Amino acid sequence: MESGSGEGSMMDDYESLISTTDAELLKRSWRNEKAAPEILQFELSLVQRSTEQIQLMEETVEESMASGVDPLTVSLYQMDLDRTQFLLRSYIRIRLQKIEKYMAHIHKTTELWNRLSKQEQKYAQRCIEDLKEHFEKSVLSKLPDRYKSSLKQSVISEEDDMVPEPQLDTYVICRAKRSLGAFQLDDSAEENPVSLDAGDPYAIRYKSIKSLVYSGQIDLV
Amino acid sequence: MATQSDPHASEFSAAELEFLAEDEMIEIVPNMRMETLNLICGDFGPFHPQIATQVPLWLAVALKKRGKCTIRPPEWMSVEKLTQVLEAERDSQKTFQPLPFHYVEISRLLFDHARDDIPDIYMVRSLIEDIKDVRFHKIGTGLEVISQRTAALKLEHLTAMEVNIVRPFVVRALQAFYKLDSPEMIQESDLRANRRFPTANHGPKRQLKR
Amino acid sequence: MYAKKACELVKEFSSSEPGQLAPFNTNLFSQVIEECNFHFHQLQSLLSKIQEGPDSQTKNADHFGALIHHLSLVRNKRCLMAYVHNRAEVIRSLGWMIEPPLPEEIQEKLSSSEKEYSKNQSATIKSYQSEMDLDLAVDMVPPKDPYIKVRVLDDIGSVALSDQIANLARHAILFLRRTDAETYISQGLMEELTD
Repeated sequence: MESGSGEGSMMDDYESLISTTDAELLKRSWRNEKAAPEILQFELSLVQRSTEQIQLMEETVEESMASGVDPLTVSLYQMDLDRTQFLLRSYIRIRLQKIEKYMAHIHKTTELWNRLSKQEQKYAQRCIEDLKEHFEKSVLSKLPDRYKSSLKQSVISEEDDMVPEPQLDTYVICRAKRSLGAFQLDDSAEENPVSLDAGDPYAIRYKSIKSLVYSGQIDLV
Repeated sequence: MATQSDPHASEFSAAELEFLAEDEMIEIVPNMRMETLNLICGDFGPFHPQIATQVPLWLAVALKKRGKCTIRPPEWMSVEKLTQVLEAERDSQKTFQPLPFHYVEISRLLFDHARDDIPDIYMVRSLIEDIKDVRFHKIGTGLEVISQRTAALKLEHLTAMEVNIVRPFVVRALQAFYKLDSPEMIQESDLRANRRFPTANHGPKRQLKR
Repeated sequence: MYAKKACELVKEFSSSEPGQLAPFNTNLFSQVIEECNFHFHQLQSLLSKIQEGPDSQTKNADHFGALIHHLSLVRNKRCLMAYVHNRAEVIRSLGWMIEPPLPEEIQEKLSSSEKEYSKNQSATIKSYQSEMDLDLAVDMVPPKDPYIKVRVLDDIGSVALSDQIANLARHAILFLRRTDAETYISQGLMEELTD
């Protein structure tokens, strides 16, 4: 829930924790995925539950139309359904587009690869093949032998130096649901701790707060 | 390729912000009877004539459009409250008054769909316009404070729309200071000779500076 | 100057509107490829010269020459790849926005490999969708109320719509499903009323 004032009491926090609906969770995942530079963990069970809820609601709408429930109620069901479907589809689209953008990097980084769903892994695999074929036909097949790799500039390169990666030290804007007190940024101890107050937006390096995004303590906006 | 960052990638469109704002709760007074709606986003109702109840804004607007309720504008949307906010905004060059995170979107939705439910609508509308203007202007001058490498910039009391507007600038400015203000900057010119493109930018290490 | 053409190629891409494609510059592209092969031949002949035996007179010059040809080749390659890679990104984003196949005016700007790539990419998206049983081509923007208020501008008569049979008489004001109303609006037979 988007409460305007940031001052949530302990009680509010507790309430919001136990009463967070799937719709709310889906919205948060959508928002975080949209704003995070890297791909986040696929929300498997949330997506499954949302898909079921969508199916149930679709059935409800059909039954209600058939049994002559008042059209107003039906249109409200329909709107609720539309909203959830948008969130789910958009969430999935954002992920697929991110996968397309960083496919090679995701593929070779086990931690990232494991964040994808089975279907997304398949998708990534095919994207990689599609692009590789395209690169080969357009450029690589026409270049001399030692320069034919799509990942390395030449055989001299020790590591992959042509693989696009997300910039984790880019700045993002985030909001904490509750005050996080003095938070040590980065891996470096030189940084003064920053206190993240509830509700207020902060522009901050993604890298230094990504663990808070993973654990759901902070939302990207 | 690798170092290219798209500052617009994570921006939310106006329609998306409105979508998010439509989930904010608001009070309505129905003029009809309807059973509890068991929706994916929650259970709302039951609805009885003249009995106020809380619903998400999108639901309120849908009912209002169909002539099924009146909407009670939120407390902060009164002439009195908004006058106070505007004065306070003008009094301080640096700080912002707390307002709901989606105040711009909420007020616009209500102006579009529930005009007759807002007392003193012209006054309210112009106050909100003024508040918006004063705040936008302050944001512009306020951003001049970014003058060195900053690990975290608190955008105190800034709201969704405002955050969205400053995002591209703030992100780029902070990024630029981050890079320029790093000790590696000096060495970078030496490295340039064998720097490879595209390279992943893992960022320079922290420098002790306050 | 070496790699100048490659630079032009990349500049040409970056000066086009974001999300838009200029015609694939086959001519310049193949010139850059040619340059790559030129550098490679130069590189090889210098390398074999170095291997054949030390010529103390030109030893350094040969080494640096070889390095320069290698670096120029790599730079050209990066530019070629950047050109193809960035165009591929635009092609993919078009694939998300436009129902395949891409319209003729876009197709004619693509190289043959790009056309192929665009087809493969749509097929890849399709196969994901069918596996998930999810249509990703709809709901590109947040939904609004599926019903809109319209005023009928002409006598259309009684029509069966997706959810009702409506009498669309001139000047009538009704709540219709947006999808039903859009056809009439585009034909100028209705107008949407925003309150």
